[in-house]
Amino acid sequence: MSKQVNLSVGIQDNLREITVEIPDEAPRPWDGTDKLKYIGGRVSRVDGQEKTTGRAKFSSDIQLPGMLYARFLRSPQPAAVVKSIDISKAESAPGVKAILLVQEKLPMIVRFVGQEILAVAAETRQQADDALKLIEVVYRERPFVTKTDEARRADSPVVFEQAVEEKKSEGDLPGAAATAGQNGNVRGPQIRPKGGAPDKVDAALAGSDAVVEATYRTQVQTHSAMETHGVVAQWQDLNHLTVWASTQGTFTVRDELAEVFEMPKSQIRVLTKHMGGGFGAKFGAGIYGVMAAKLARQANAPVRLMLDRKEEHLCVGNRPDSTQKLKVGANSDGKLTALKLLAYGTAGVGTGAGVSGPARNIYEIEHIYSEESDVFTNAGPGAAFRAPGHPQGAFALEQAIDELAYKLKIDPLAFRKTNTSKNEIRQVQYKLAAAKANWAKRNSRPAADSGPIKRGMGVANSVWYYFYGTGFQASIQVNSDGSVEPTNGVQDIGGGITTIIAMVVAEELGLKPTDIRVTIGDSDLGFGPASGGSQTTAGITPAVRDAAYRARMRMFDIAAPLLGVSAEQLRADEGRIFAKEDKNKSLTWKQVASKMPGDKFTIVGERFKDHIQTKPRTIAGVQVAEVEVDTETGVVRVERVVAVHDCGRPLDRLTLESQINGGIIQGISYALFEDRILDRNTGIMVNANLEQYKIAGSLDVPKIESVILDVNHGQSSTGAIGIGEPATVPTAAAIANAVFHATGARVRELPMTPDRVLSALEYKEGGTS
Amino acid sequence: MIGGIRFLLNDSDVLTDVAPGTLALDFLRRDKRLVGTKEGCKEGDCGACVVLVGELFAGGVEYHPVTSCLLPLGELHGKHLVTIEGLNRHALSPVQQAIVDTGGSQCGFCTPGIVMSLTGFLLDPETRKDARGCKNALGGNLCRCTGYASLIRAGRQVLQKIGGNNIFTNEFSENATVQMLIEQQVLPAYFQSIPARLKNIPAKVQRRDRATPYCLVAGGTDLYVQKGDALANLNVHLLSRQSGLKQIKLSEKRVHIGPLTTFEAFARHPIINQSIPDIQKYSHYNASWQVRNRATIGGNIINASPIGDMTALLLALESDLVFRAGRKQRTVALKSFFTGYKLFDKAADEILTDVIFPVPDAGSKINFEKVSKRQTLDIATVNSGIKIVADGALIRKVELSMGGVAPIPLFLKKTCDFLRNKRVMPEYILQANDIAQSEISPISDVRGSSEYKRLLVRQLLIAHFTKLFPELIQVRAFYEAH
Ligand SMILES: Cc1cc2nc3c(=O)[nH]c(=O)nc-3n(C[C@H](O)[C@H](O)[C@H](O)COP(=O)(O)OP(=O)(O)OC[C@H]3O[C@@H](n4cnc5c(N)ncnc54)[C@H](O)[C@@H]3O)c2cc1C
Ligand code: FES
Ligand code: FES
Repeated sequence: MSKQVNLSVGIQDNLREITVEIPDEAPRPWDGTDKLKYIGGRVSRVDGQEKTTGRAKFSSDIQLPGMLYARFLRSPQPAAVVKSIDISKAESAPGVKAILLVQEKLPMIVRFVGQEILAVAAETRQQADDALKLIEVVYRERPFVTKTDEARRADSPVVFEQAVEEKKSEGDLPGAAATAGQNGNVRGPQIRPKGGAPDKVDAALAGSDAVVEATYRTQVQTHSAMETHGVVAQWQDLNHLTVWASTQGTFTVRDELAEVFEMPKSQIRVLTKHMGGGFGAKFGAGIYGVMAAKLARQANAPVRLMLDRKEEHLCVGNRPDSTQKLKVGANSDGKLTALKLLAYGTAGVGTGAGVSGPARNIYEIEHIYSEESDVFTNAGPGAAFRAPGHPQGAFALEQAIDELAYKLKIDPLAFRKTNTSKNEIRQVQYKLAAAKANWAKRNSRPAADSGPIKRGMGVANSVWYYFYGTGFQASIQVNSDGSVEPTNGVQDIGGGITTIIAMVVAEELGLKPTDIRVTIGDSDLGFGPASGGSQTTAGITPAVRDAAYRARMRMFDIAAPLLGVSAEQLRADEGRIFAKEDKNKSLTWKQVASKMPGDKFTIVGERFKDHIQTKPRTIAGVQVAEVEVDTETGVVRVERVVAVHDCGRPLDRLTLESQINGGIIQGISYALFEDRILDRNTGIMVNANLEQYKIAGSLDVPKIESVILDVNHGQSSTGAIGIGEPATVPTAAAIANAVFHATGARVRELPMTPDRVLSALEYKEGGTS
Repeated sequence: MIGGIRFLLNDSDVLTDVAPGTLALDFLRRDKRLVGTKEGCKEGDCGACVVLVGELFAGGVEYHPVTSCLLPLGELHGKHLVTIEGLNRHALSPVQQAIVDTGGSQCGFCTPGIVMSLTGFLLDPETRKDARGCKNALGGNLCRCTGYASLIRAGRQVLQKIGGNNIFTNEFSENATVQMLIEQQVLPAYFQSIPARLKNIPAKVQRRDRATPYCLVAGGTDLYVQKGDALANLNVHLLSRQSGLKQIKLSEKRVHIGPLTTFEAFARHPIINQSIPDIQKYSHYNASWQVRNRATIGGNIINASPIGDMTALLLALESDLVFRAGRKQRTVALKSFFTGYKLFDKAADEILTDVIFPVPDAGSKINFEKVSKRQTLDIATVNSGIKIVADGALIRKVELSMGGVAPIPLFLKKTCDFLRNKRVMPEYILQANDIAQSEISPISDVRGSSEYKRLLVRQLLIAHFTKLFPELIQVRAFYEAH
């Protein structure tokens, strides 16, 4: 029950024919020769009106009759045992309806400043806040550690003790399995050798003509989405719970709640019509989600629990820091020989500080050895953050590669070319980036400018992977009035999946995107992907297109007898269904719909595995940054970024460009401004706001020129891959390389603040002033 | 305040008894259920809460974008508060449409605030003057998704579209602007009725109840960040109710600044521009447009932050402060006003009523420098103001201030004394730096290490002289002398 189709695939116009086998019921995948109307064009958001008029409702905007407001009492201690809690005064405070402890039985162990102790629900937010002040908690303080390096030492206070780790129900603490191989605060290392045992790597390094060995450090970055985490929870009855959640995964929130409350999944409904950004930190229900639902049950009233900006910085995720000792070797012919990476980082009380992705997946290197560990500290837990581990890894790797190129007196771009020679896409990207950035005009000598303001240009590679997931189900309902309603439970986190679904359906049915009424963000609808790993579009659009294709076939079956032709001869375009050979035999889409038996029909499309099983495919990208460094004050300004990214088959270039711009500006912000600072003596975050925790603003935006590289693989019916994450991977590294080119000084630590830049300059000059 | 607060909220009249210290943002979202205005930080840093406030002026109603999370509701009496809901018409406005067209809204959480700022941009004769104004207009709006490029493009597109044939001229009055923007469908038609409706609201006199402790509020941009929601329950005394605290005037070769003058009004005033020719440039580095529309000169001084930008500038201008308590009035030199970290020579019931500085002589040169990480909305690491009177290369007099390097905004008396009667030469400037280093006492904090701040003092000192005497001295000279 399958058919063979020929496809033209390849990079941009450089196409070749392949044959793939696809199910009979599936459409021919879009390929490099398809001339499509909307797909690949610039289509503005179908929900743009809602968003620009402020009518789009976010979780924090949900207002229900009798709704209560909940707030957390959070630990002011970085490490302590909660001995007792007295809530008696708060219980009788005005407006208070429910108070619940996060951990019902004391003593409770607290491991970071900001950890949730209990939550209060009251009639107003102010009342909830006032009630918190009446609660007395007795803490027995324990020693703590906030600095990654100190936490690694044998004599450091230990963040986790065995007894606590056995507990499993706390979704955000590492379970028993995760802590296997834990020694003190160090979990790991995870060792990944490639091309032989570690001694082979050492030998290869020793035998190399040139070796660069350096230590790179990156900071903790908080996600700082503009909408904080939070939910509104409402019980319809004791067995039915509805939660409006600011989440990247309607289904992941549902599943976690089902587990906590031991309820069938179908009795929980998670709604996310709009959400104000996630960047990886908004997957599970979170303690806030669980507590809101518990409070709502206890108080028998809906509860809104939204975090404030400070809580957002402290408790709900961050990009772990890293220390990376990197050693890379190459021969004078410009070929890399071996790479050794020893890395550790802290995700606070969480895990996932690995950074080796770029080191293992960009260059053609025979021997690679990597060793990575998580280090526990008394700080808020890390969480997946836009290309987890990769901006960190790229910052180290891409600077080391650069250093090596300078050492060998090879142009940094040419050096990269040589060492990724088998990657066709990268080769094309280098060419495009060099042309656009005018690389040829770049002075090959670093620090060539005279005067205090120095300009420089640097390049860095990025890598990400193609993920998609299967089992997603998109429905399309065609009504007898001709309206078309695709539905799926997936949420739009700003990536524009609502619009993309409309485009795919419109393209397939010969309608306009604005004709398509998309309903998403509801876990009662068909199973959809969580928006992580940049897989939303690649995951759901093939299911949508398959459903749309079969809906079209159904419409053709209805139209065929009416037009007196066979269904195979029919086409759909511009709101009409017509015979390919004789366009006079034509009916409007609406006319055909009106003839359907019954009132509507619904078709469900499913996401199966790709037609072509590529092994984990990497997604390549390269960025060139131009900077201006004021060597008097150390201030770095990014003037221009050229970005060339593999975008698979681009679906909507407008959303794609926005994603790339957003990724780059986040990369600039990471490179120059953002830094979560914990006070060593108290464990308190000293910049838990947006005044001192800086994120880039409109005036920090450089000229961004992005080249969207069309790469048709024909792997699925839409050929989509993700771009949300790759664009943020190489930016900080490219800036660092540009700073070196401008000044001749290497800044090996993020963020590249003016004082760090100045100290790097001083170091370069051999310690003057 | 007795008798409630009366104002126009979009197209409707509001009369409310809620406490005047209540945040406008809370009032909108909680009491009025107008949830298009978002809450992202409640500290003036993100712009999700931006609204427009319209105030009666001679030419009609003048609108300014401000952050509603730092705006006391009492301030709105007799004014027009415009939220995103008040801009919506049947079709999208050109601002909204441009954001849709350029892909300037991704998750959309920041979008209402951005629409407000860009609409404010079109209403404002200064910012809309050139395309760069659009970046400045968005200076107070953070967006974590789009990377701003599309938003800046959107702003330029609208400006192009409606301002295409140079429709804005310099003499464009407030009335004409509003009228034109109604025609261009940027504003709904009801805006036409606003001036007349505002005129109908009687002014409000506020009596200070001396019995209970009260809190003086000027722009509120420091107070609300420090005290937040608690202010709603305090007895706030809104200084804006007091007349005569806002004007800027010249009298006997002295410039008088009403302490309630906002940063933005200060930077735009002709008298100030004459005295401090580059004031607009300095002003852009202060806060954001949305905050500058509220933050006052007096508040900056009394807030006593060691790093206050206006304070540093005013120190170099030899400013005096006039205080009044009841009928008692006295004058204090700004140089001697601060006594320790957040401590100053002022009694609790004294109100700052005038800030005065002598009109700089024809031969004097003024400069202000600020080093911070970001280009806008960033408190300085170190800032510095200077006024120099010179005869060619001979320095007659120097007034130098540095912020962020001591517990108080610092006037560097010894350094100034040293430089008097010296020539503008690298060696003297470096010697002056040595003296400056002995006057300062920076500490390490999130803004930078103490060593870095010491280095910045040197660099800013050099920057002052190289900027003010480009014909005499160049930066390179210091490298050689070094
Ligand atoms: C987002 C943001 C960015 C900022 N960026 C900057 C910046 O770049 N540079 C900078 O210098 N500052 C900055 N600030 C700080 C702040 O805006 C300024 O200090 C401002 O000048 C304070 O003025 P205000 O009128 O808002 O003061 P308020 O908050 O109203 O008052 C501050 C204090 O002064 C007292 N006070 C005010 N007026 C009088 C008076 N006439 N008589 C007696 N007492 C009085 C008040 O009682 C209060 O104690 C920023 C603030 C925010 C929120
Ligand atoms: S809520 Fe962030 S500026 Fe007002
Ligand atoms: S669109 Fe998401 S914050 Fe601006």
